[in-house]
Amino acid sequence: MKFITSNFVRCAVKSCDGTEGSFPLNFQDCKLQLEEQEFNEEFIISMLERLDWSALVKVASQLGNNAIPPQKPSLDDINEVLLKDLHSLLLETQIIEGKMICDNCQHVYYIKDGIASFLLPPHLAK
Amino acid sequence: MLSTPIVKDLDIDKVYEPAEDTFLFLDMFEQLHEEQYFTNLNSNSTANFVLEIGSGSGLITTFIAEHNIIPRSYNLVSDINIVALRTTLNTFNDNTENTNCDALRCNLADSIRLNQINYLLFNPPYVPSEEIPSIPDADDISNTAWVDLALVGGNDGMLITNNLLNSLNNILAINGEAYILFCARNKHPQVVEKFKSKWTNFQVNCVIQRKCGWEELAIYRFKKMS
Repeated sequence: MKFITSNFVRCAVKSCDGTEGSFPLNFQDCKLQLEEQEFNEEFIISMLERLDWSALVKVASQLGNNAIPPQKPSLDDINEVLLKDLHSLLLETQIIEGKMICDNCQHVYYIKDGIASFLLPPHLAK
Repeated sequence: MLSTPIVKDLDIDKVYEPAEDTFLFLDMFEQLHEEQYFTNLNSNSTANFVLEIGSGSGLITTFIAEHNIIPRSYNLVSDINIVALRTTLNTFNDNTENTNCDALRCNLADSIRLNQINYLLFNPPYVPSEEIPSIPDADDISNTAWVDLALVGGNDGMLITNNLLNSLNNILAINGEAYILFCARNKHPQVVEKFKSKWTNFQVNCVIQRKCGWEELAIYRFKKMS
């Protein structure tokens, strides 16, 4: 799972819909891998508007990266160094193994071989 | 004519094999691409999130990414079948330099943040059946039920599609569009009328229709206007 996807997934349990703890999920015991990809400045800029910045900072810190500015940079003060850092974090950082926990219902989702599973046991399925 | 991605090493006992319904999606996207439909809609510079539900072999998502049909897109795919997800990622990586794709094992869009998806694609299990097999244990990857689950849709073949239609308003961003395939036995004109009377913030129209042997297939666009 690429880091950027962590900004777009939430707990799949119906009763967690819209609750504060269901997004972002709490990432634990993660094994990361960097997969080099071509830097596309325009794409990273186009993505900025779509990101939930506080969730991004939180998950980055759970994965050991505390270098992300706490506030979303505006287009005026963005520079190439920051864009390259974001590219590396968002698109090149792969979570190969790990857990994602919902802070609302405490359900644990697993990432195995790079793919996150959100399938629920029958008693929790919608 | 745009090239069709190559799917290598497809295990047809475990993953749905591309068929007329899959190719109808490809033809529709090629037609929309020629009309510059997506570039005209996306004159601003924001990224688009594309979600394909039930990506199977990965042919559709790979096709639109390979030919850059939707500008500035990040492609998510979901499937309940882990073998399908791995096949999708392989198909994607084998055919395109584009790397903006990620796979989630998930029912429909249950784990996707609400109101974020700009384009949703769904080639559902639409074949009418008396019942739908229950989902096997997640680790039981050689169970043949996985491929049946990609095909059969219960009463009128609409059981799974109806679940998605009921949550469409929560999944799509404003101005987001869902492309969903139906066969004639799904009674899609009635389905669409019912949907439109319930969700007045949507515009719905048929984009492409085709007779394929004994099957008649159609893809509708559901656009969330507000």
